[in-house]
Amino acid sequence: MSFRPPQRQRRRAFRSPPGATLILPAAVLALSFASPAAAQDNVSKAEVEAKLHYCEVCHGVSAQGFHGYYPIPRLAGQPTEYLKNQLQAFVERRRTSNIMFNVGHVLSPAMINALTTDFNQLNPKPVGGAPKENIDEGKNIFENGVAQANVPPCASCHGPQGKGNGPFPRLAGQLYDYISNKLTNWDKERGQNPSQPDTSAVMQPIAHSLTQPQIKAVAAYLSYLE
Amino acid sequence: MRADKTTQARFAWPANPKLKDAGSRLALAAGVLAVVCVGAVSAQHQISLSGDLQGKISYCKDCHGVSAQGYNGYYPIPRLAGQQPEYLQNQLRAFIEHRRTNNIMFNVAHSLSPAVLSALAAHFASLHPPPIGGAPHQLVATGRRIFEDGMPEVNIAACAACHGPDATGSGQIPRLAGQLYPYMIKTLGNWDKERGRNPTVPDAATIMSPVAHSLNKSQIEAVAAFVSTLR
Repeated sequence: MSFRPPQRQRRRAFRSPPGATLILPAAVLALSFASPAAAQDNVSKAEVEAKLHYCEVCHGVSAQGFHGYYPIPRLAGQPTEYLKNQLQAFVERRRTSNIMFNVGHVLSPAMINALTTDFNQLNPKPVGGAPKENIDEGKNIFENGVAQANVPPCASCHGPQGKGNGPFPRLAGQLYDYISNKLTNWDKERGQNPSQPDTSAVMQPIAHSLTQPQIKAVAAYLSYLE
Repeated sequence: MRADKTTQARFAWPANPKLKDAGSRLALAAGVLAVVCVGAVSAQHQISLSGDLQGKISYCKDCHGVSAQGYNGYYPIPRLAGQQPEYLQNQLRAFIEHRRTNNIMFNVAHSLSPAVLSALAAHFASLHPPPIGGAPHQLVATGRRIFEDGMPEVNIAACAACHGPDATGSGQIPRLAGQLYPYMIKTLGNWDKERGRNPTVPDAATIMSPVAHSLNKSQIEAVAAFVSTLR
């Protein structure tokens, strides 16, 4: 009802006019194209730009996440390694989502490099909207864990600011209902291909050990974290 | 036009002459109404609200169809039945603020009080008549594919991600199930000419703009045909 369209962040890597700001991204691009795999799999700026717009139709302006029919996760600021892993997981049916299977299976390695680099660089404000009454409890679980239930501090892998690292996803600013749903349905959505076990197994016992109120509290805390 | 009698009876008001034979259903409806009307609102206000509302509902249905299932007038007039109440309220406000351009609907909407506006939205959301139909059947299969899977190779998003696998919508995102085939075509084809028209008040219409642009005419027709058949 109270719709506030967020301002799209400037895409330094792909939108700036030629000039000083382009030098660094150009160098990064040059490096990534220099690798043998990417050399035969080129992708134009225009193609990347069009694909980014396509992603943001569902994932929200500046990839901050969006409430469609489903909660559609924030991709902004996400580590590139995690994003690449997940796209691969959709394609290999280790992570089940029909829509994301279709999205993922047409992406070339060069396109995946470009998209994940772009999303990683974005830093819009969190969407917000979660209940605020259990944020303190959520912060406590995130930072200290729940020792008596064998739940380690989330911060030990996801980082003290929830920014993630490598294969560990950023959780800061992630949608409240997205986090709740993932933690609640972990075994139904992740690690779905028994012949290809993956890193989702790391999170499995933790998701199980958290109670519903604990999940909601952590999700609420993270959803406001910038 | 085919009326959904069950739903009509359940939500129409006691004064409606069509309901003289509705019997025990009417008693239930009156009971529900009584409960709805109890609240902070004064007794006098209740009477005027229910009177206004009854009149307004009939007035809306003159154009939107007997059960708000949509109607092909001079223009295709959209189905409101089963529509998300938040979406309905947003659109009525968009007409008032000239964000969505439609002279007829501006005139309709700007006289509605906030209480009537939300009561109308709740009323229409609760109706479930069958779709009008009439779209070319041969387009439905292609439309279903675009709706469910999108066309990732040409950057067309899956409609289902936001509008839901059954096209029932969610919150500010509209229901498309059962929407009129020509209305869908007109709306997707003219998006930027009809929506988000007040640059000082940007709204959720901007989300759909690139999607509408990415679809060509035959893709729009296919999606329109598919959703128009959904119940």
